[in-house]
Amino acid sequence: MTTALSKVEISYIRSSLLSAPPLRADERSPEDFRPIAVETGVAPLANGSARVSIGESRTGRETEAEGAAGGTEVVAAVKLEVDGVGEDKEGGKVICNVSCSPAAYPHLSSPALDELQSDLTSVLGSVLSHPSLCPKNLVIVPGQKAWSLRLDTIIFADAGNVLDCLMMACRAALVDTRVPSTRSVEYRAPGKRNEVPDDIMDVDEGRNGPSSLLETREPSRVVDFELTDYWDEGEVLEVRDSWPVCVTLNMLPTMHFLDATSQEESAIPLRLHAMFAFPGGKPTLHGMRMAGAGTSDLSQIRVLLKNAEKYARNMWTGLEAKLAEEEGRRSIKAREKFYGRRRR
Amino acid sequence: MVHITIQKRPYNEAVVTQRKFFKKTARGKVIKIIRERYLRDDIYCGIIGCRLCTNGTTAVLPTSGDTTHKDFPCGHFILPDTNIFLTQMDLFESNQFAFPVILLQTVMEEVRHRSLPLYNRLKALVKSDDKQVWVFYNEFRCETAIIRDQDETPNDRNDRSIREGAKWYNSHIPLARPPKGQKPPKVPQVVLLTEDAGNRGKALSANIPCMSIRQYVEGTRNPAQLLDLLASAGSEEIEPTKATGARAVLYAEHLPSTALLAGVNAGQLHQGHFNANSYNYLEGTVPVPAFAKPVLLVGRENMNRAVHGDIVAVEIFPESEWKSPGDEVVDAESTLKNDDVESGDEIDENDTLVQARESRAIRKSMQALAEKQPTGRVVGIVKRNWRAYVCHIDASSLTSSSTSSLALQTIFASPVSRLLPRIRIRTRQAPSLVGQKILVAPDRWDRTSRYPDGHFVRALGKVESKEAEQESLLLEFDVPYRPFGKAILDCLPAEGDAWIVPPKSSGGPVWRDREDLRELIVCSIDPPGCQDIDDALHARRLPNGNIEAGVHIADVSHFVHPDTPMDTEAASRGTTVYLADKRVDMLPSLLGTNLCSLRAGVERLAFSVIWELTEDANIVNVRFTKSVISSKAALEYSEAQMRLDDSSLTDPLTSSIRLLNSLAKKLKAKRMAAGALDLASPEVRINLASPESSDPLVAPSNSPNVATSSNSKDKKNGETIGVMQKALLATNSLVEEFMLLANISVAMRINEAFSQTAVLRRHVAPPKTNFEKLQDMLMKRKGFTLDVSSSGALAASLDRCVDPEMPAFNTLVRIMATRCMTSAEYFCAGSVSRDTFGHYGLASPIYTHFTSPIRRYADVLAHRQLAAAIAHTPLHPSFHSKVHIERIMDVLNRRHRMAQMAGRASVEFYVGLALRERGEVLAKTGNVGGVAEEAFVVRTFRNGLGVFVFELGLEGLVMFKQDVRFDAENYTVTLPSQTAGREVTIALFDKVKVRIDVEKDKNTQRGRVKMTLVSPVDSSGL
Repeated sequence: MTTALSKVEISYIRSSLLSAPPLRADERSPEDFRPIAVETGVAPLANGSARVSIGESRTGRETEAEGAAGGTEVVAAVKLEVDGVGEDKEGGKVICNVSCSPAAYPHLSSPALDELQSDLTSVLGSVLSHPSLCPKNLVIVPGQKAWSLRLDTIIFADAGNVLDCLMMACRAALVDTRVPSTRSVEYRAPGKRNEVPDDIMDVDEGRNGPSSLLETREPSRVVDFELTDYWDEGEVLEVRDSWPVCVTLNMLPTMHFLDATSQEESAIPLRLHAMFAFPGGKPTLHGMRMAGAGTSDLSQIRVLLKNAEKYARNMWTGLEAKLAEEEGRRSIKAREKFYGRRRR
Repeated sequence: MVHITIQKRPYNEAVVTQRKFFKKTARGKVIKIIRERYLRDDIYCGIIGCRLCTNGTTAVLPTSGDTTHKDFPCGHFILPDTNIFLTQMDLFESNQFAFPVILLQTVMEEVRHRSLPLYNRLKALVKSDDKQVWVFYNEFRCETAIIRDQDETPNDRNDRSIREGAKWYNSHIPLARPPKGQKPPKVPQVVLLTEDAGNRGKALSANIPCMSIRQYVEGTRNPAQLLDLLASAGSEEIEPTKATGARAVLYAEHLPSTALLAGVNAGQLHQGHFNANSYNYLEGTVPVPAFAKPVLLVGRENMNRAVHGDIVAVEIFPESEWKSPGDEVVDAESTLKNDDVESGDEIDENDTLVQARESRAIRKSMQALAEKQPTGRVVGIVKRNWRAYVCHIDASSLTSSSTSSLALQTIFASPVSRLLPRIRIRTRQAPSLVGQKILVAPDRWDRTSRYPDGHFVRALGKVESKEAEQESLLLEFDVPYRPFGKAILDCLPAEGDAWIVPPKSSGGPVWRDREDLRELIVCSIDPPGCQDIDDALHARRLPNGNIEAGVHIADVSHFVHPDTPMDTEAASRGTTVYLADKRVDMLPSLLGTNLCSLRAGVERLAFSVIWELTEDANIVNVRFTKSVISSKAALEYSEAQMRLDDSSLTDPLTSSIRLLNSLAKKLKAKRMAAGALDLASPEVRINLASPESSDPLVAPSNSPNVATSSNSKDKKNGETIGVMQKALLATNSLVEEFMLLANISVAMRINEAFSQTAVLRRHVAPPKTNFEKLQDMLMKRKGFTLDVSSSGALAASLDRCVDPEMPAFNTLVRIMATRCMTSAEYFCAGSVSRDTFGHYGLASPIYTHFTSPIRRYADVLAHRQLAAAIAHTPLHPSFHSKVHIERIMDVLNRRHRMAQMAGRASVEFYVGLALRERGEVLAKTGNVGGVAEEAFVVRTFRNGLGVFVFELGLEGLVMFKQDVRFDAENYTVTLPSQTAGREVTIALFDKVKVRIDVEKDKNTQRGRVKMTLVSPVDSSGL
């Protein structure tokens, strides 16, 4: 990945992929992923975090110096910050940012690296910052204060298929995120309550909610909030199962394959990124992108999307299982292990 | 080789090793905080002689626990839950409560989280020598540390942690005592004390001995006294009062603190200290920054259970509902006389009666025409500043008064301070407490109750016994009066009173950079009987015709070093407190009255300020130096005066004093020209002389301001307490001028050297509005104008307020003007802007306190800063921190104020005693008129007069039961007179004659001065 491939190399990769059965350098079939590793809670000070690697993780291994042999590795972390809200908005927003470690792209100049970063940031932002995905429980005091969710990701190593890895890390980090529970605090000015004697107001409709048009009570003057439980990590984000995963279909006319390595990526003309989520098992497409110099037509894409949905569902199920396991590992199991050791 | 174990764990065990929590900052941000925890297995159990924990040497818990409790014959330790400390701190602090306590770290932290003052008391408890309290760090011992379960509330987690701790102790103790022979060993138990029934249930099912505090105390040897100490919160759930169900709600609910904070931040609420009105218990004020005038609170509902000193949040009414302060005296005692304690509350007609009476009182006092001020109501208490108050028992509230009765009774305790409401307490010792001064701590104030509930802390002694009165004064004004502890006394020089200045030839560190001024003719001039002499003076002609004058101040900072226990204690005491009959020292008396005191004929260390002055008292040069002096004479003011006046004396000492005096006169003249104020305060001296001794009053014949003994005649009749006004001699002024000069010179020097942290003193110019009332009074009654545009103008106009018929009138006006001013305060040079440094009263642009380091801590600080400024001793690092200095200044200002009030209260007490004594003497000689004195009217009320008795420095009230004609505009009251047969009008500033009686309240034994008019009208029938 340090240098562009020669024409010969490209043609070699293409022809092996097009042979029957398709051949790949690492003996995978077209629909196979390299091994994926997911770990959550990697950044203790963040509100949610995850590390995802595809392929052999480079960092943390003794062969770190070997370079290209490693896989793709991404860390995502969520930080919640209290923010003021404009008058008209409900509040709460998701801000994404991608940074690329220069070590991951030693061949790129620094402007090129910036470009890549902003490119990936905009892809992520267009999907995850979409208002339809904004979790309702980011609002602290409606119209006054809300959490802004900062999702920062760092690409530590890129050995191909970085977007899938990135989205997976984001989803894992967001699922891991706990919003500190807050209680809004209000001070209601001495309304007109005192002036109108209670017995006059005490008509039945008055009690059962704001049915009366003559309701003169001012909107609640909530101005501040407090933390309810200073120990608790808080509650999960509301749209937890709507954060999508991404599947990249690498297309070489007549066939497509998944999880391309860097070399494979540079050998193919067209890629299709499809972001799917499966809230309640129902597939929802959150975004789609074509990248590369090649072309494709609509009928092809329809088929590809069908395939993409299938792959995405696989990935989704696998990720869900892993995330649940991670949660258990970090709380219940650790606790059991601790008490177990004491008993010994 | 030492084996090192690394206790840190990898991060994937985070749930065990880390504790996470969120914190909201003052600026509204939320931050996540992670605390790491390292578990160990060598945390000591704290029991003396424990075989399993071998490495502990500081254990405090007795091996077999406490064996006096009837439920635990094998001995026990107690392990209290957090809620015990939150409510029952007084019980633990009582010296009758001496059970060994195991204090878990979890409990400590929870207490700190809930209440900082209680946490500080808890820490003091742990440190005190007479308690057996062991802090067990259960969260760090691997067997007792626990991890929070999923969805477990912090409270539940802590409860579980506490139970875990108790369980561990109960299994640890038997392990440490294996059976010897056949007899099973006596194993003490660890008893968990908690008020939380749920926790108790869980503990019992886990076989942990557990009980409520009440249950526990009932099983002790002498439960009666300890039971009284239990806070009332505990008693409520066990013995619900009969009326609980049907109690009427008297007060609006307080808003929770977070809502208050939100309201204050949004500017809808205002926060401030609640000040009760001592004349009218149904009125209070809260000064808030948003308004120039304090917010007025009228009536019980609007004050909503605020107690004097609490920080409250108030809501302001719309301007149309603003009121003006009442002009009537409303006395709680007479209005609420018949209030019943037991029901206290409120369903009976008694209640409606009280309400009617109160609302009448409010209405009546509201008719005044005076200016309206912001009015509002208390919506919540930000912080209760409750402490233990000195009280009397209201004897009428006792249901059974036989002294043998040990029945539990609910009674009223009336605080000595008129600013506080009565407190309802439950006690078994009621009959024996009547006629005693007792300490009562309020616990809570329910919405349904007219009075706060509290509990009895301890008895101070018989009312009017000197000890009880003294102690109650010290407690009331929060003066620390415990004897100095060992750690503090250890800071004194090892030689004790044999310490002397080492000979100069020895070349020791004492003489380093120290000038030898032993040859100078130095003398000290002080009030009679002064033991802590901290200043001495000298003056001599220089060859060039100028005069060298020196002020030598005891070098306290040589003995009191920063960051030692003695220094910390002195900083927290702040000042020596002078009561009429007692001095509470800031420094141990070895220093104060001996090693630092500049006695005559002894070599002493000093810090000298030496000026070169011209004949006209202009400063040519000033220098500061540490020195050694040897005072030639310790004079009293009168002795010095005698030397001044006796022209036959020509010795060097006398001529030195004369030189000083001439300079002082010029200095004073200059100061006055610059606009310094000559203020007055009612100062009287109490002479506690035995009848045999000669007249204790020292009143030289030719002093300009002759002291008048109001009772020199009576004294012969066997009176023991003399009350007289303080004498002022020329020599007083001499000393004062030089001290001022020294303070100003030092202030300039330290401010130059430490522009951020210099310890200075200032007197802020009072806002003009403060004088409005006095200006109006003077204008209307006497036709004088008071120009308050500057201190100089004020001084000049005060000089013009002279009534040839009443020589004392001028002093009276000065006293009243003084009351309109703000009080002087210490501050840190870096905390306020340079142009507010000025001292208004002294008309000096900068000022500090330097001259009394023995009795004021601010002076000690100034000494240290000056020593650093002249490169004698480097400054302790902490004194470079502005925040640190500011914190000390806050303490000093508060202590200073308290000390002044305590001193005044003490004088008042003796004036009262003297009056009674004099009354008795007069009665014996057949004089039925009682004590009658001349007084000035200083305030007019709708139903009374405020009068000031000059001779006694006493302010009092003359009340009329009948309605009289009151003209608020012109400050007059018109009374019918039986003798003259016509109406007599009394106006402000009029001289009247009042009869002064000290009568004791029948119920509370509280002595109070009662005044009635004798002339021009006898008001006893009114």
